[in-house]
Amino acid sequence: MNPATATGMSFLALVRQSWHVLATIGPGVVFIVIFLVLPSIMLMTVAFMTNGPYGLPEMPFTLQAFRELAGFGFLGWSPGNLYTLWRSIWQTAIATSLVILIAYPIAYYISTRPAHMQPLLLLIVIVPSWTNQVIRAFAWMNILAPGSAVTNAAYNLGFLSEYMGLFPSTFAVVLGLVYNFLPFMVLPLYASFQNLDHRLIQAARDLYATPVKAFFQAVFPQTLPGLMAGTVLVSIPAFGMYVIPDLLGGGKSSMIGNLVARQFSDASNWPLGGAAAMIMILATLLGLLVLRRVGRRAGGGREVVL
Amino acid sequence: MKRRINGFQLGLRAFWYLTLAFLYIPLAYVVAFSFNSANSYVRFPELSLRWYERMFGNTALMNAFYNSVTLALTSAVIATLIGAILGYGMYKYRHLKLGWLIWFIYLPIVMPDIVYGISQMTFFVTVHDLTGMLKPGLTTMIIAHVSFQVPFVALLVYSQLVRMDPLLFEATQDLYASPLQRAWFFILPAISASLISSFFLSITLSIDDFVISFFTSGPDSTTLPIFIWSAIKRGVTPEVNAISALMIFAVFSAGLIIYIFQRVRPPKDPTNQ
Amino acid sequence: MNTRRNTLAPAVVAALALGGISAQAKAEDTLYIFNWSQYMDPEIIEQFEDEYGVRVVENYYNSLSEMFAQLQAGGASQYDIVVPSNYFIERLANSDLLMELDHDQIPNLQNLDDTFLDPEYDPGNRYTAAYQWGTTGLIYNKDLVDDPDNVSWDVLFDADKNPDRPFAIMGGDGQVSMGAALAYLGHGYDSMDHDAWVEAGQLLLETRRRDNFNGFEDGTPMLRQIAQGVIHAGLSYNGDYVFFALEDPEDYENIGYAIPEEGAEIWVDNMAIPKNAPSPELAHKFINYILDAEIGAQLSNWTYYTSPNAAASDMLDDILLEVPSTPSDAEMERLYFTPSLSGDDLRMFQQIWSDVRQR
Repeated sequence: MNPATATGMSFLALVRQSWHVLATIGPGVVFIVIFLVLPSIMLMTVAFMTNGPYGLPEMPFTLQAFRELAGFGFLGWSPGNLYTLWRSIWQTAIATSLVILIAYPIAYYISTRPAHMQPLLLLIVIVPSWTNQVIRAFAWMNILAPGSAVTNAAYNLGFLSEYMGLFPSTFAVVLGLVYNFLPFMVLPLYASFQNLDHRLIQAARDLYATPVKAFFQAVFPQTLPGLMAGTVLVSIPAFGMYVIPDLLGGGKSSMIGNLVARQFSDASNWPLGGAAAMIMILATLLGLLVLRRVGRRAGGGREVVL
Repeated sequence: MKRRINGFQLGLRAFWYLTLAFLYIPLAYVVAFSFNSANSYVRFPELSLRWYERMFGNTALMNAFYNSVTLALTSAVIATLIGAILGYGMYKYRHLKLGWLIWFIYLPIVMPDIVYGISQMTFFVTVHDLTGMLKPGLTTMIIAHVSFQVPFVALLVYSQLVRMDPLLFEATQDLYASPLQRAWFFILPAISASLISSFFLSITLSIDDFVISFFTSGPDSTTLPIFIWSAIKRGVTPEVNAISALMIFAVFSAGLIIYIFQRVRPPKDPTNQ
Repeated sequence: MNTRRNTLAPAVVAALALGGISAQAKAEDTLYIFNWSQYMDPEIIEQFEDEYGVRVVENYYNSLSEMFAQLQAGGASQYDIVVPSNYFIERLANSDLLMELDHDQIPNLQNLDDTFLDPEYDPGNRYTAAYQWGTTGLIYNKDLVDDPDNVSWDVLFDADKNPDRPFAIMGGDGQVSMGAALAYLGHGYDSMDHDAWVEAGQLLLETRRRDNFNGFEDGTPMLRQIAQGVIHAGLSYNGDYVFFALEDPEDYENIGYAIPEEGAEIWVDNMAIPKNAPSPELAHKFINYILDAEIGAQLSNWTYYTSPNAAASDMLDDILLEVPSTPSDAEMERLYFTPSLSGDDLRMFQQIWSDVRQR
């Protein structure tokens, strides 16, 4: 189909429009292609190369890095890397669930305050997330260190053995993740609560629904868009976190982001790092797809996420 | 019935305050201990400004501060420019079914920043090996930051344009205004709100970024987050409390300013924050 | 309506101004030093800057693997001075990351004690000149150890000896931790026997799985952690220990440093110039400056490490002659250099270590 006749434009006009399109969209797209797409492709290429004697990638192409990632190391098969991947998934899942549990009441609370207060309350919730993630992780390092008030309390309550601190540990990492991402869930949920159709809730009450049922049948479905948006905003970045598991998890609760980073600094094995990075990208895309699908189904066919 | 509601309301309110405590106590901790005279988180003999003094005398730290600011401003300017043009193009030619463009735009947003940072690092190292250009440093950092800011700018500008009345666009065309005149007198003012907010968003994204900066930085381009990270890794932490306290203070001031702005000027755009 | 112009213009001006300022600052000659943290007297840097009219930028690392990775990722053309330990020089040279030293530009090289001229790890001082030497030993909370004269690595490796006190071992390239494990198992710190390595690797894996294992850390940060009570035992360096103990005597009252009876590391750190250093002449001048007798003494007096500089020996503070800065004769008997690995040995070692880190 001839684009010129389809749009009813003359050839010259078509050329001019193409030039305009390129001029506006061009710079941005070219920038992203050269400085994002190309590097990503390079990284994926590195994943298929051989690990040189000092960690830099060399020819020939091989799947060795993926074999190493799957655990086939020197002292036999070891599930370490797979554990790390698994740990990343469930730590993210737990953190996201906790964030949802906390954010729901908070978002609801804010939405029930007088209208002029709401922006201020939102601001109060969001401002801590404007501080740098390194500083936030550092703050928790101090609070959870041995000898601090919190740690002593945990010890007195029997949760902790005498000399240990509350970090490095899985608990500290999940705590750090929840702390980091809570505001990102509050915002979209609040927006959903804003748009709540209270008549549905009223109707449910009129029909003698218990509060729990009223919530799940009337409130929850309406907040679904916000919930899904928030879940995407929380779980996807949480999965790929590096700073929090590194500072608060030490060597014990590392996530896949730490695995990747280590191959490019300490452990010097670029192909393995590239392979792990590829898995991360795939997992992220998969997660996005799943969330979209779930969102669409639960939202009754509407496009709820991206 | 009423009593049950009140119990619920009370619980909700308590939960709210508990959450606030959760959010703010860590920050308060850092600020409090920045005034500690001893290098410890257990003892607190007396108040002292010793770490703040050390901080201001630290040239590496001051350097890091300048680098952070330069990086944020430069990248924000470039990104706002490129992103605004991109957003405008996306809007103007949206009928051309450039859906695939959305994927390009979303790519930097969904990609985990560790993968982002490392891929940029391998890219710049390869380019440097092959051509001698692009040494890891402020330039590479600016490029990296721009590449993740552009999508946000483009999306913000696009979404503001989409809310506008398309008839207005056609009207300017009918009035025989030259493209440049249209751009300057009509389009720019129309998207000014999203330009400003995307500029500030870019600055925030840049100052806040650690991972990508870390992997694209060079010897002389340490930024504040990188400086703090190295200090934590080396175990040199008392000054970190002081710097962190100042950064927290800066963030709170920004929040306060925004709040005041909101009160003084009623927001024109209900979704603007 | 002119809001965009009003915000944009000053922002651009500010960015350009700041860029200009930083460009100005870089216009003068700059020396980029990549060194261990806590290893250089700031006064020496100032003196050097004043004397040669240049600017010095310091960056730090806490482990050799970190240093190596940075050099690989472009650092070899951005740093002028790097300070590797003896056992890493071979692989740095093999990776083509070092520049050969021009001895004509470093007349002070002869100030070095004979032991450090033409050493085994760098024949003919082709690439390096000695900087400081010292030991890596056990740091411990004094109530963990009954007899400070007979300390053993079991504080770290024996679950019965230490069931509940948090401890850390060294990460990085792994050779020091493996050496400690090898020593504890009786194979000797510098064993090159591959089977022994496998056994040591298993020990490290078991150690890692214990509840009170607090993670892989680097030497200098461990000293701060032990003072804060985050760990109760670990590995660190003698000079850093003395430095911190003197700086905060209260915090370190209960912390000790010892060379365990099974054996520990003695090392020599050396100044080297990366292959494509931006200012090689200035780098040579710096090495020569550090090798000067007075500066050498000033350096050691600050770092509390022993100096390889024979000409500086009469200007050293007395404390440097005491343990732990200078190991006793008995201690010297059980100190070993970490072996330099290459080829198949290196490959095997790295595989074992990566399993230890990743399992």
